[in-house]
Amino acid sequence: MSSTAVAPAASDNRAIALVDLLDRLLGTGVVIAGDVVISLAGVDLVELRLRALLRTIEGDA
Amino acid sequence: MGEQGRYLYAVCRGLTPEAVDGIVGLSGGRIDLVMEGDLVGLVSPVDLDEYGEDGLRRNLERLDWLEEAARGHDAVVQAAAAIAPTAPTRLATIFLDDEGVRRRLRERRDAIAAALDRVEGHEEWSVKVLTRVADTEPEPVPVASSGADYLRRKREQQEARFADDHDAHFVAERVHDALVPVVSASRRLSPQDPRLAGHEGTMVHNAAYLVHRDRSGEFVDRVQEQSDAYPGVVVDARGPWPPYSFAMLDES
Repeated sequence: MSSTAVAPAASDNRAIALVDLLDRLLGTGVVIAGDVVISLAGVDLVELRLRALLRTIEGDA
Repeated sequence: MGEQGRYLYAVCRGLTPEAVDGIVGLSGGRIDLVMEGDLVGLVSPVDLDEYGEDGLRRNLERLDWLEEAARGHDAVVQAAAAIAPTAPTRLATIFLDDEGVRRRLRERRDAIAAALDRVEGHEEWSVKVLTRVADTEPEPVPVASSGADYLRRKREQQEARFADDHDAHFVAERVHDALVPVVSASRRLSPQDPRLAGHEGTMVHNAAYLVHRDRSGEFVDRVQEQSDAYPGVVVDARGPWPPYSFAMLDES
């Protein structure tokens, strides 16, 4: 599948911008709990890490 | 090389091995199909030193690692979604072995089947509405004759910006309303951080639309109409993508 920008784009034109992909891959739509995440007893590891990452970027800015 | 786990990319229905021919998994791993009834899990081996709890905790903080994982995940999902109904999993869904994958597919069979029914024949489109950054800025500001003058001008600028954002929110609702009749589902996402997304202006709308393949032309036309109707904002539409935002399972 390719990406079609049908209107002036504000971001770059790669197939799926990383930020859009992360919105979706880390978003609320948990499909299936894997063994590794399940053993964290309800702590949402991935979102936790992304928040930490965002804080890091904010700190750099 | 440490212990191996199984990384699950997506669950599909009716996918044959040829579909993933030539597609390589994360860390160059081979893509395998794990069958459970009519459900097919797409998996590849990953090193648990990298993808176990400790590894993930460390690696998810590295943007370069995160990007490589997300892109690798997406490549597999895109290949599958082009061919068969596909429910992508969340990033870093890892099992200890194939039996773990099969067990989870069995446990969530009904919810997975419902998600696959929902996305079959559909694609996802992203539509964002952003305020347009004024070309006139920074406008030449005459020297303030007094402090009160300066404060007044400052307040006027802030109010103008607020009014622009308010109008853009209104426009975003109109754009959304115009798209809803041609989509099967929609989902609002949080506006993105400009430091990550790199956009200018304020993102007042960030939504995902589930569009049937047969209606994608109609959808694109509608977006273009809306973009033409509201030149004061940027309507940014992208796609088609795999149905990432619509494959979530109902709570069991």
